[in-house]
Amino acid sequence: MSSHSQAATRPLGVGILGAGPVTQAIHLPSLARLRDILEVRHIMDVDATVAESVAARVGANHSTSMDALLGDPDVDIVAICSPHQFHADQVIAACRAGKKAVLCEKPFAMSGEEAARISAVSEETGVPIIVGAMHTFDPGWLAAEANWGDLPQNVHTIRSSIVLPPNARFEDFATEIITRPAGGTPDYSDVEVIKNALRGGIMGLAIHDLPLVRRFTPDFEDLEILQARHVSPFGYVISLRSGDRIIELRAAMNKTWKPEWVFEAISDDAALRVDFTPSYVQAGSAVATITRGTGTRNATGTTYGPFEHNGYEGEWRELAQLALGTKQPPSAENLINDLTFAIAIADATVDEAAAEHTQHANSHAGAHS
Amino acid sequence: MSTQYTVTATPQAEESGSVALAVASLPASFGPVAAGDAASISAIDGAPGWTTEAIKAIDGGASGIVVVNPVPENTAALLDAAEAASAAVVLDQRWASNPGLAGAEDAVRSVAGRAAMLDTVATAAAGTDPERLLTEHLAAVVRVTGQLDGLRVLRLGTHGYTVSGRFANGAPVSLQGVLSNSRPAGVDFRLYTDDGGVSIAVPEPLAAWPAEVRATGPQGEILLPTLYESAHRTTWRRLKEHLDAGTLPSDLAGFARLTESIAHLS
Repeated sequence: MSSHSQAATRPLGVGILGAGPVTQAIHLPSLARLRDILEVRHIMDVDATVAESVAARVGANHSTSMDALLGDPDVDIVAICSPHQFHADQVIAACRAGKKAVLCEKPFAMSGEEAARISAVSEETGVPIIVGAMHTFDPGWLAAEANWGDLPQNVHTIRSSIVLPPNARFEDFATEIITRPAGGTPDYSDVEVIKNALRGGIMGLAIHDLPLVRRFTPDFEDLEILQARHVSPFGYVISLRSGDRIIELRAAMNKTWKPEWVFEAISDDAALRVDFTPSYVQAGSAVATITRGTGTRNATGTTYGPFEHNGYEGEWRELAQLALGTKQPPSAENLINDLTFAIAIADATVDEAAAEHTQHANSHAGAHS
Repeated sequence: MSTQYTVTATPQAEESGSVALAVASLPASFGPVAAGDAASISAIDGAPGWTTEAIKAIDGGASGIVVVNPVPENTAALLDAAEAASAAVVLDQRWASNPGLAGAEDAVRSVAGRAAMLDTVATAAAGTDPERLLTEHLAAVVRVTGQLDGLRVLRLGTHGYTVSGRFANGAPVSLQGVLSNSRPAGVDFRLYTDDGGVSIAVPEPLAAWPAEVRATGPQGEILLPTLYESAHRTTWRRLKEHLDAGTLPSDLAGFARLTESIAHLS
C-alpha cells in the first residue's frame, strides 16, 4: 500500500477539550461506532487524572492544556466539551490553530458579542463550526424536514415537552463515569436560585430544541412572553408568542424512569410530531410522524424512523464530512440566530419567572398571615 | 323488572348527543316515546338558553333531563325547579363524562400533593369556538383535579388558547387548546410528580373508545381498566340509576362551580 493511499484511508483525528460526563457518556460511545472514519487522538482536561484515565480508554494522548491539544498535529477535529464560559474562546482558538472542523457543545457562546466574535473568526479562517444541538442531526428529524413541505409556512402552534430523570441515570446506561460534578440542594425560596435554575434550563435543556422551534418561527426576533414559571426541582413552563405563532415549552426533570421528549408543530391541516430518544444513550433516532387531514376523523399520517443512529452520531458524521470538504458548512448566521433566540428567551423569561415567584410567595405569605 | 323510561330529544341534542344510539344501547331502561305521549325523559342541547329549556321540560312533566355539552350559564333557577319537582338533571359533557375519569380522579388526587407540573392539551377541529372548547377542557380537568387556583387566560384566539393556574401546593398548571384538523380531537392530561405521575388521554364520545389512564411510579406503570363505554351512554346509565333510586344527581352543583371558574377567568 502506498503512503498516499494510507493517508487517504487514515481516520480523521479527534481531540476533545474537557473529559467530563458528556465526553465519557456521549462522545466516546458515539465515536466508538465510527472507528472507520474517526479516531480519538487527544483528550484534554484540567484534571490530569481524569484526562489520563479517559484517554486511556481510547488509547489517545492526554494533556491538561488547550494549547497542547491544539498543537497536536494528529488532531484534525476539535470537540469543545468544557464548561459553558470557556466555549467562545476555545472555539476561536481551535479555528486559529488551523483545525479542519470544530464541534462546540451547546451553547456555543453566552452572549451575542461572543457569538459575533466566533462568526468573524470562522469566516476569516474558513474553519467550519457546528454546535452540538444533537436533535438537529437526528435522522428522524432530518427525514421529517425532507418531507414536511409547506408546514413551516402554515404552523400556528409549536410545542416542546421534555421529561427526563437526572442525567446520572442515563449516563450510567451509556458508560462507566469516573467523575461527576458535585450536586447541591438549591434553596428554591431564593428568587436568585429560581432565576439561575430557569436560565440553566433554557441554555442547557431547552436549547436542544430551540433550533427546531426556530425552523417554524420566521419572526423569531419578535417575541412576547406570555408566561414563564419554574418547575420544581428543575424544569419550566414557558409560553411565548412570536408573530402569529404560539410556542409552548415544558420541561420537568424528576426521579421518573420514564423519559418523554416530544416536539410538535401544528397547522390547521397538518401536524408534525417527533418523539426523540433520551439523552446520553445510543437508543437510535427519533420517530417523526407527519399527519395531514381535512378533518379530525380522516387524518392520515406518515412515519419516519426509527433509524439506527441518533443525533450524537449524526453530529460526528457531519463533522467528518465537513473536515473532508465533502459537505458545505452550516452558515454562521444560522448558528448566531439560534443563539440569539435562546438568549432572548432566557433573558425575558428569567425576569417573568422571578415576578411570578415573588407574586406567589407574597400570596402565600398573605394567606398565612 | 325495572321501569323503562320514555325519551324525547330535540334534533340538536340528537345530533350532539347521539341520543338514539345511547338509548338503543340501554333498551331495558329507555325507549322512544309513542307519538302524542309525553316522554318521561327529555334530552336537550346545551346551547345558550339551555337552563330555560330544561325548566320548561320539567314544567311539562319530565322526571329526567339530559343536557348535552352545556355552555356556562346560571343554573340556580334550574336547580330550584329540579329540586321542587324531584327531577333528575344530568349533564352529558364531551370529555368530563367519560367513565374512565372516575378512576383517574382517584389516581390524580392521591398524588396531587406531590404535583410538580400539570400540562394538559385539548385538541378540536379548526373553526371550533375556542371559548366553548375551554369550557369542555376545564370541565374534564377539574373533574379529576378538583378546584385549581389562580386560573388566568394568557391568550385565546382562532388557533386555541393558553390558560395558567396553580395546584394547591403551588405547582404550575397549564391548559392549552389547539385547533387543528390534523390531530384527533380529545384531551391529553399529564400530571408530573417527583417520581412519576398520571397521564390521561380522553377520546371523543363519538364511539366507545376508552380513556387511557396511566399511573407511573417507581415500580413501573399501571394502565387503569379501559372502559369501552362512551360518555353519552355513561350519562344515560347514570340517569337511570338516579331515577330508580329516587336520588338527585349533583351535576348542576358541580357545573355551577365550573361556571363560576369560567366567569372569574381573568
